[in-house]
Order: sequence, then C-alpha cells, then structure tokens
Amino acid sequence: MGGHGNNERAFVRLTKSERIQHVILFVSTGLLILTGFMLMGEVWAIKLFGSAGKSIFYWRGIIHRVAAVAVTAVCFYHLYYVLFKTDGKSWIRAMLPRLKDGVDAYQNVMYMLGKRDERPKMDRFTYLEKLEYFSVYFGMFIVISTGTMMWTQSYWPKFYLDVADALHLGEATLAALAIIVGHIFTVHYNPHVYPMNKAFIDGNISETMMKEEHSLWYERIIAEEASKSANTAHATEGGHSNA
Amino acid sequence: MKHQSQNNKPVMLFGRQGRAWTFFAGIATVLAMLSTSGFASTVSAPTPGFLNPNQAVPAPSVQVAVPKGQDGCLLCHKYPGLGRYDKDARNRIVKRVFYVNEDTHNASYHGRFNCSDCHEGVDKIPHTDAKKVDCGKTCHLNEPSSGKKFSHKAIVDDLEKSAHGAKGAGAENQSDLPACRDCHTNKPYLLNLQQQMKSKASMQICHQCHEDKAWITRFLSHIDYRLSSRRPSSEVVRLCSKCHANPSMMARHKLDVVVGFQDTYHGKAILYGDEEVANCLNCHAPYALGFSPHKITAHKMKESPVNADNKRETCAQAGCHASATNEFATGSKAHASQLKAVLETKGGNAGTDAVLEDEAFQTMVLHWINLFYQILIAGVVLGLGGHRLLDLYATYRDSKKGGH
Repeated sequence: MGGHGNNERAFVRLTKSERIQHVILFVSTGLLILTGFMLMGEVWAIKLFGSAGKSIFYWRGIIHRVAAVAVTAVCFYHLYYVLFKTDGKSWIRAMLPRLKDGVDAYQNVMYMLGKRDERPKMDRFTYLEKLEYFSVYFGMFIVISTGTMMWTQSYWPKFYLDVADALHLGEATLAALAIIVGHIFTVHYNPHVYPMNKAFIDGNISETMMKEEHSLWYERIIAEEASKSANTAHATEGGHSNA
Repeated sequence: MKHQSQNNKPVMLFGRQGRAWTFFAGIATVLAMLSTSGFASTVSAPTPGFLNPNQAVPAPSVQVAVPKGQDGCLLCHKYPGLGRYDKDARNRIVKRVFYVNEDTHNASYHGRFNCSDCHEGVDKIPHTDAKKVDCGKTCHLNEPSSGKKFSHKAIVDDLEKSAHGAKGAGAENQSDLPACRDCHTNKPYLLNLQQQMKSKASMQICHQCHEDKAWITRFLSHIDYRLSSRRPSSEVVRLCSKCHANPSMMARHKLDVVVGFQDTYHGKAILYGDEEVANCLNCHAPYALGFSPHKITAHKMKESPVNADNKRETCAQAGCHASATNEFATGSKAHASQLKAVLETKGGNAGTDAVLEDEAFQTMVLHWINLFYQILIAGVVLGLGGHRLLDLYATYRDSKKGGH
C-alpha cells in the first residue's frame, strides 16, 4: 500500500470539469462553514477580535454571500452537467442507487467484522460515495432555499425565518461534521491514500486502487477494451492509451 | 497632587499654589469627622460603620458645621481614599467612593454648579441630613434659548409616566424601578472629555473669543455628544440587561426575561462591534421616529414602537429593513424570551392567550427541527465514524495476515 509505481497505468476518475466543480464546491463550502459559524461564537471568543471585530464582521457577511452565490451557481451547473453533458450523463447513471448497493454495504460490513473472506466487488461509485453524493443534494436544497429566504428576509414572516434559521444551522452543522468524518477521513486519512487521494487534482486513479476499491468497474473497462481491441486488432496494431 | 516648583516660589505640597492651608484644614476636618464616628479611638478593633458594613453607624455625638461653597466640600472630598463599604437595599456589600476630582468635575456637564446646588441639606458632619439628589429640581442656571430657569423636570416627568416610572409601572416593587443614575452612570465624570472631542481645531476656533478652556470643553462636548457619539451598542445592551436579564427581578414584575438577544443576528453583530445594527433602544425607543428612552412604554400600549401596529414602521426605519412587510415585523418576537415563565405568570390573561398559543406552537416547531437535526447528526457521525473505524480495523487485520 501507499506509494504505487510511477509507471503504473492510470484511469480517469474525474474529468477536468468535475475537478473544477469540486474545487469551487470545497473552497466555497469551507468559507461558508467558517464565516457561518462565526455567528455562533461564544461571547469570549468574539471578544478576542477586539477592535478589529467590526471589519471582520463586515467581511464575514460579504464572504458568506459571495461564497453562497458561487456554491449555488456550481450546484445548478452540476444539474445541467448531469442532465445534458455526455460525461455528466454517464456520471449520474453510475451514481444512481441500486439494490446492489444495499447488498454491498451488508457484505462489506460482514467482511470488516471478519465474517466474510472477501470484500464485495464494487462499481465506479461505492455505496458510501453514493450516500455522500446524494446527501449533498439534500443539504444544498435545504441551505440554498433557507439561505435565500434569509437573504430576502423582509418579505417573509418572522416565524418562517426562525424555521429557516433553525434548518440552515442544523443542516450546516450536519454537513460540516459529515464532511469531516465521512469525506476528509476517507480521502485523506485512509491508509490507502494518505496523505491524500490526488484524484481531485490530476483526476487519475491508479490501477492498484481500481482493483482494490472499484474492481467491478475495473473489470468492465478491461473487458470493454479487450472486445474493442479484438474488433480493431485486424486493422491496427497497438495500444490502449487511456490517461 | 504634584510636587512642583514654579517661578521661584516656595515648593507647594498637595494642590495648587497658595492653597497649602487647605491640606492642614482638611486633615483637621477629617480627624474631626472620624472622631465623631468612633474611628480614631478604636483603630485596632473592628470599627463600627467605617470599613465594616456589618455594624451600624452610631449616632454622632458632635456636630461640626460644614464649610460653605465648593472649596468647603473639597476640603475632604479631594482625597482619593475617602469612601467606605456599605450595604445596598438588597443587603449586598457595595463600595461607596466619596472622592471628587476637581478637574474632572469642572470639565463635566455640571462643572458650573456648586456641590450644594444638587446635594441639598448637607450641613452636618457626618452628612446625616443629606437629601437624595433630585434631578428634576430647578437649577440656578438660565436655559439659553428661553432665558428661564433650567430644569430636567420635563424628562423626569416623562420617565415617571413611562414603563420605568412610578406612575407608569405597577404599584408593586417600585424600589426596582430605575432612577436617572441607573442609566446615566456618570460617565462624564470619569472620562477624559478632551479625548472624546471630535476636533481639536474647533476648540481652537472657540478659544479665539472664549477664554475658559473648561467651559469650551463642556460646551463643545455637550453638543458633540448629542450629534455623534452615544453609548456603544454593547453598553446599551449591558445596561438594559442589568434588570431585564435578571430572572428574579423580572418575575417580581411579571415580565419576560430577555434571554435570547445575544443569540440573534443583531446581538452577535453588536458583540463584534457593529454599531449599524439595532440595539435595545433602536427598536424600543427609536429617536429617529420621535421616541425617547425616557418614554418607553409596554408593548401593549398603542404608542409603543414595538406594539403590533407600529412594529412594521419600526423595522422599516431609515437604515434598517426598508422593505419590511407586516408579516416580517409582527410574527414572533425579535428575541427569545423564557416562554415557560410567560405562560406561568400570565396564564389567565384572555387577551394574550391566542398570542401565547401561537408562540407555544412556534417554539414547539423549532424544537422539533432542532431535535430532528440532533438525531440525524448523531446518527450520521456515529454511523460514518463507526464505519471508518471498522474499516481501519479490517485494514490492520489484513496487514497482519500479510496483506493482499
């Protein structure tokens, strides 16, 4: 585990568009969590800012709104992406929950408990990845709608705003913790990938990782390539360059 | 108190030149005062009254006439150590400082007055005959626009009729009601007003015609204070909270305890030092809409800016929520109160039952949302965390076996 050979074959895990979407998503989400929870600070913590507090508070509001616009834009773009773009359509098709995900979850837990000999063979997206992905849909729906309400607060009854505030805070807390426990640990502190899974930078996944974590997907790609090259073998000699 | 020598005159101890006699006279007066309260004779034993709040002050046996005029008071009151521990109405120990700094007093708004103009009846030592200062009395000073004798009486009368005054509040527990000094905490005596002044240049302009520097400072700061710098919002909140966040006092008056303001957006912004958002007074006594803190009334009164009929206008005042709708303004409260206490103390009131039921419903909905997220968060964190730990364990187990 750990460092894989440099000459190893790489497969495309994230396209350039997906990587850009991800960068916008995590930078703005980070800023939103930071500037948002600054409103929940205890009195003594806020007092630490001293006389700088006033301008910090001003910029806190500006940054929260700019990041909110960015994250909303990237969410709507992503909807367009998965509905109309070729790469997006294949992404969402692979992402849709199937019965097999439940079976995978059960078998994987059984394996981890030592009651099965092998991990289940998983496809392009594991059950945990699907759960995370659709949690973002749920969370974004909540925070974007309640955030918009609070931004246009003068037009809403105060009680609706109180509800919006409670939902916004609850969802933000859930998202922040889920990102830390569910996502950061998986892509950074997993011994397979430590210090980080570089797929979000170069978009690549190594052959070893493919076999370990997405063996079903790996086998299918290899099989497709084999049938393709069998068809074209007569015409041209040569290779499969995928990276 | 500087040790200094000027113009080859003899060195003067304590105070301004030519007034050294006041020091010795002061010592004599203090000794005289102490001996009447039994201090000088019992220095080693706990002294009744002085520095010992548990014992009552015995009736004085000797009466000494108080020297008249400003300087007469300063004979004693210019000494910073002058003061004692006392007990307040609720039997708490308080420190009472009787020291007066002459320069600070002269630079304050009341710098032109003699002590006895406000502190009436101080003819004996100790001052057992002193009356409480009445801010509503008529001063020996002419109000410049009308030429009549000046008085704060109009404001005192407004306060009397307001929710904070003896006539406007309920008849019970009137000792809780605030006096002028509970809000006007005499900051002017403590601050260096020169520092507060916006412009040193304007001082120079005044100085071309007017001679007395203390007078110029007083006059300019009188206007400057009203034009620009009021109390910072955080201080307003602290001041109001002294009573309105005190559960036992609010219970005595059947009022909600203000507990949630600090958690609101307004409250947090004020903590950061933002002076643009609303503090207590901006909604409960907005100057911009013609209200005054001295005229605060209960929200049930028609003229209150937080009355349901006036709330929209209050929210929509200049610089705030210009497009506020009625729904925005009237819904639930701008800051949380202790609803349970409200229900218990006001339960029988038919007029407010509908409002309280609304509030109870709304509180319940918010409670369910919070509970939903608490459970969801606990589930997600424990679930994902547990899964992760299990995965680490499995990886460790596999590596021990020799990996794959």
